[in-house]
Amino acid sequence: MCMAKIWLYKINMIQNICFQLGRLRLGSCIVSSVQVREKGHLSRPRLRNPYWNLRKQRTNTEDLVTTENKQFINELACEKYGTPALSKSIQSQENKLIQTNDPEEEIRSWTEKTRRCGVIARKIGQYPLWLKNGKKVRTTLLQIADNHVIKYMPPEECGPNKNPSSEHKLNKYGCILVGAESTNPTMLTKEYCEIFRGAGVAPKKNIMRFMVSPQGAIAPGTPLNVAHFRVGEYVDVRGKTVDHGFQGVVKRHGFKGMPASHGVTKTHRRAGNIGGGGEKGRVWPGTKMPGHMGNRWRVLKGLRIWRTNAKYNVMWVQGSAVPGPTGGLVYIYDTLLPLRKLKEAPPFPTFYDEVDTTSEDCWYEQMHKFKDETIVYKSE
Amino acid sequence: MNVSRAMSKRWAQQCVFNRIVAFSTKPTQHAAAVSEPAAEQETVATPAAATAQPATTTPAPTTARKPIVPSNYRFIYPEFLPDPKVEWRNPIREKLERLDMLDRRRQIDLPEFYVGSIMAVTSSDPHAAGKTSRFVGICINRDRCGLRSRFVLRNVIDHQGMEVVYELYDPTIQKVEVLRLEKRLDDNLFYLRDALPEYSTFDENMEAEHLEEGAPVPVNDIKVVLRPRPWLERWERQNLLGVANIDQYIKDKHRKSAEKVQKPWEKFDMMKQYRSTIPEEEQKEVFAEVHTELHSMELQRKRNKRKRTFVKPKQLA
Repeated sequence: MCMAKIWLYKINMIQNICFQLGRLRLGSCIVSSVQVREKGHLSRPRLRNPYWNLRKQRTNTEDLVTTENKQFINELACEKYGTPALSKSIQSQENKLIQTNDPEEEIRSWTEKTRRCGVIARKIGQYPLWLKNGKKVRTTLLQIADNHVIKYMPPEECGPNKNPSSEHKLNKYGCILVGAESTNPTMLTKEYCEIFRGAGVAPKKNIMRFMVSPQGAIAPGTPLNVAHFRVGEYVDVRGKTVDHGFQGVVKRHGFKGMPASHGVTKTHRRAGNIGGGGEKGRVWPGTKMPGHMGNRWRVLKGLRIWRTNAKYNVMWVQGSAVPGPTGGLVYIYDTLLPLRKLKEAPPFPTFYDEVDTTSEDCWYEQMHKFKDETIVYKSE
Repeated sequence: MNVSRAMSKRWAQQCVFNRIVAFSTKPTQHAAAVSEPAAEQETVATPAAATAQPATTTPAPTTARKPIVPSNYRFIYPEFLPDPKVEWRNPIREKLERLDMLDRRRQIDLPEFYVGSIMAVTSSDPHAAGKTSRFVGICINRDRCGLRSRFVLRNVIDHQGMEVVYELYDPTIQKVEVLRLEKRLDDNLFYLRDALPEYSTFDENMEAEHLEEGAPVPVNDIKVVLRPRPWLERWERQNLLGVANIDQYIKDKHRKSAEKVQKPWEKFDMMKQYRSTIPEEEQKEVFAEVHTELHSMELQRKRNKRKRTFVKPKQLA
């Protein structure tokens, strides 16, 4: 009797478990009925704008401010930040700068692996220079446009850690916020002006962040000028190329087009064939076709600095293909090319001494100065 | 009464000044034609202004003063004027470029010359026998601005037409001589390539011709004789003044097609002219900046010239 009871109990239990299992299967069936083929949306990096990416321009409302009051506001701005520079994009408002001292300055030393801060410049044109052997070099003039350091963020602060599970892989580089071209703060939004509060500089038109090694940190308010780079060194120049809009294949990819006559109808500037048939009977990825041309970020690497001018903060850089139009903004970095990297210690973290603006230009030793005598070849 | 007469005199001077300084990069008659009505307007406007102005001893306005910069500088030194394309302009770049040009001009005497002048350029050449080469020829074109400015010399040597492009500020150029200073009727003389060779043949040992100081640059109105077709360019479409026999070689179909591509309205297109030239005020600014340097260089050149004429012994034996 007792045994039978136990059996019954066991059977009951088994039934129970079977039922539970059935339910479980049933439940799992319900889950699998919602098909998720791709899980990419879960780990896709979200676009997180940096905190300084704010609206700059204030909406121009009619505030009914009298001209006297407007003058008063301008006076206040001048009092706070110093009088603006007379000519455009020249270092200005120096007199009111809060120069924060950097106590760690002596400790820092430059090694080949450290990364320095870059600068914001404007492309102001191009003209040829000549070498001492008579060869012509086409150069582009880049003017470093009234740059000041606004903030330094150490590696822990700048940017989210991309892979939170691996904590040992912290960001290697901190970042420096650099602003270029002081402007009238009354034209800007309040939030945007807040960025510049700690730096003690007038609000700037343009901001850029540069990734630097922690040793390369620069105190806020420090001006960056052309002495940051030395003649003969190589730089990478990043800029946005000229926007050509939607262009055909002849302009965009340099296709030849088709003849003007000899029975050609309506296909003078068309691409012609875009692929074969059979197994390859589709348009292959990367086929050159009409589309939007320009307005892309491009980096021109390894450009030598041939000459610098301290007065106007201008550097002459190799080549005439610096991305962007004349007057466009470009960003200058120390080059990353392994053979052209800095070998000797540059001004690190930047050039701190007073720049003698009256001094003459600094030329690379192979350059022919225009003040030098005419080049004459000696016969052997 | 006396005062008003003096003022009217001054206004007359102003008008004259306006007439003289009608700026455009090309020496055309249009500029003068444009300036004349403007001057007339001013004369019309002056009586009204005279009545409006109180007849007191006001200080003379600065505009009445004679300009320091000679008005012909834009023809003598055209490369100092920047490219009129607005997208390429930048005041600081232009200033730096001008400083470099002046630095180079302190090292070498770059004389006044025009398209049509006969020149000799001595330049360093690593491949030449004596490491220098001298080329004599007629200047058939002059273009670009700033440090990039250049000119083309053409000559016929051993029955072979030769053209050399020189950059004006190239530091390998040792000497630029103008053997005969004159102008031609056209802006460029590329048609010499299709002309008979005697029109572009010049003696290599040609002596420099002396032109009196202050005399206007003579315009050579020679008409060049072209070879028969085929030509390098369609000269019949270019309204050339310095060619004698274009009609001899073209047929009716050429004449008709040339008529089709003519744009007679372009000379009235003020916007086109505005876009292709530097405005008068900016030209003044540019030349005011470089004038003193250029002027002192000119004086130096004159002094050197005089010295050379005295020192040079012509006949020894």
